[in-house]
Amino acid sequence: MDAITASDLILLFGAWKQLFAEQREFLIALDGKVGDSDLGITMSKSFAAAAEAVEAEGEAAGIAKLLRTAGATMARTAPSTMGTLTATGFLRASKAVETAASLGTPEMAAFWAAYRDGIAERGKAKVGDKTIVDVLDPVARTLEEQAAAGVSLAPALAAAAAAAEDALEQTKTLVAQHGKAAAFQEKTVGLQDAGATVGALILRELSKFASAQ
Amino acid sequence: MKKFLNDPVNFVDEMLDGIYRAHPEVTYTAEDKRCMVTAKPKTGKVGIATGGGSGHLPLFLGYVGDGMLDGAAVGGVFQSPSSEQMYQVTKAIDQGAGVLYIYGNYSGDIINFDMAAELADLDGIQVKQCVGNDDVASSKVGEEHKRRGVAGIYFVYKAAGAAAAEGLSLDEVHRLAEKARLRTRTMGVALSSCVVPEIGHATFSIGEDEMEIGMGIHGEPGISRKKLGAADAVVDEMMERIFAEQDYKSGDEVAVLMNGLGGTPLEELYILFRRVAQLLEGRGVKAKHVWVGEFATSMEMAGASVSILHLDAELDRLVAAPANTPFFKHFSN
Repeated sequence: MDAITASDLILLFGAWKQLFAEQREFLIALDGKVGDSDLGITMSKSFAAAAEAVEAEGEAAGIAKLLRTAGATMARTAPSTMGTLTATGFLRASKAVETAASLGTPEMAAFWAAYRDGIAERGKAKVGDKTIVDVLDPVARTLEEQAAAGVSLAPALAAAAAAAEDALEQTKTLVAQHGKAAAFQEKTVGLQDAGATVGALILRELSKFASAQ
Repeated sequence: MKKFLNDPVNFVDEMLDGIYRAHPEVTYTAEDKRCMVTAKPKTGKVGIATGGGSGHLPLFLGYVGDGMLDGAAVGGVFQSPSSEQMYQVTKAIDQGAGVLYIYGNYSGDIINFDMAAELADLDGIQVKQCVGNDDVASSKVGEEHKRRGVAGIYFVYKAAGAAAAEGLSLDEVHRLAEKARLRTRTMGVALSSCVVPEIGHATFSIGEDEMEIGMGIHGEPGISRKKLGAADAVVDEMMERIFAEQDYKSGDEVAVLMNGLGGTPLEELYILFRRVAQLLEGRGVKAKHVWVGEFATSMEMAGASVSILHLDAELDRLVAAPANTPFFKHFSN
């Protein structure tokens, strides 16, 4: 597809809900190594609630309103920091695509830049701190490059998802600076960051969604 | 552990149930007892919300009432409330004049209050924030943004609460809260640990004859641990740190909060305050408003903190204004 419409967006949240239901146990185990094991629960709960809320709202609300509903719903249902951060990302993305009728490559670039900035600001994290920002930053930059080169949505998102996977792998070399993992310091080297894993999963599903339709 | 408990899991909710039964002047919103709001809202007034973990009574919720706060989001023991709870409180107390958040500088509280402010903004409610960081012991000068918020937040509540009661705008109430925050310093000392009910044993251990200067109100490490000295010597050490950061001229006036951490008798607090007053007198500074008692505790921790607010004319007026909450009553002269 060349652009994601409001009705596509509702389906996309459904796909994310399905994804995090499937990845729940994997994320619990991953987070359990240096965190408090609640990441799988947070993500499955918050995406399920968001998917139901956007479906109830309906496509007539438009892209920005749907994203805002998703973010606000996540903020209310998320029982932990990572849920609050993900919610912030969607709320900021909503503002970034305020007037868009659909999301092509340029809009998607604006979406992920705002998503990254919102999470970095709220979580007070910067690139290199071993967080989801380490994945979101190359995603946003890749999409900006793809938009500048005039690449259509599906291949642009494929490039962004590939950048996310590479960045996730790179988080293994970093030392955690935030959250409960920060207490483990050097022991976090060699482990992929759980939050960054969530970022890569979101992008993988988004790319899959854009390629399949 | 020796505590009056039923199931420790219900510690906070049973406490809240007791508070609502005792004090009909406070109630809750969103069908969540952890979203406390005043039962007597004032039309058109700037709303003031706070929030934070339980285990510090009268902090935080104890200051919801006339002349102080309009709502408080209540977390588990030493845990931040959720952004949803803060947002619900915000919605309930907004009178169209906006809402000021006043809370302590802890990462969980910050992230959740920021989120709540963003949700409120989507509803068109204007929110400003004032984040208490009065604990001198928790970081050095120049890194005040890393300092924890402790008992001195009481003065911020008092100043902002009185300003809102006077009908001032959100910008003005925020300015005065910030002024009170920037002119308040606190130093604490702990003699024994607190016990979190669901954990059931002391958070840290400290020798029978030891004290820890600068300990946080959740048992965070302080500046130094040493043999407990005479009361006057302990106060001298605490006040030295506060004096180093407050620039008094002879004739200046201050407000003093001599606060017990939960397990120290009032008698001892007055022995400590006596020395605080002597030191202020020695500098030609007048302790114009004085409160001695429990204002911000850490469960059963024995220990005390002293907070000093360096007054000016407008802070003097606000601190002196009347207040009436379930846990705090103040009559104006």
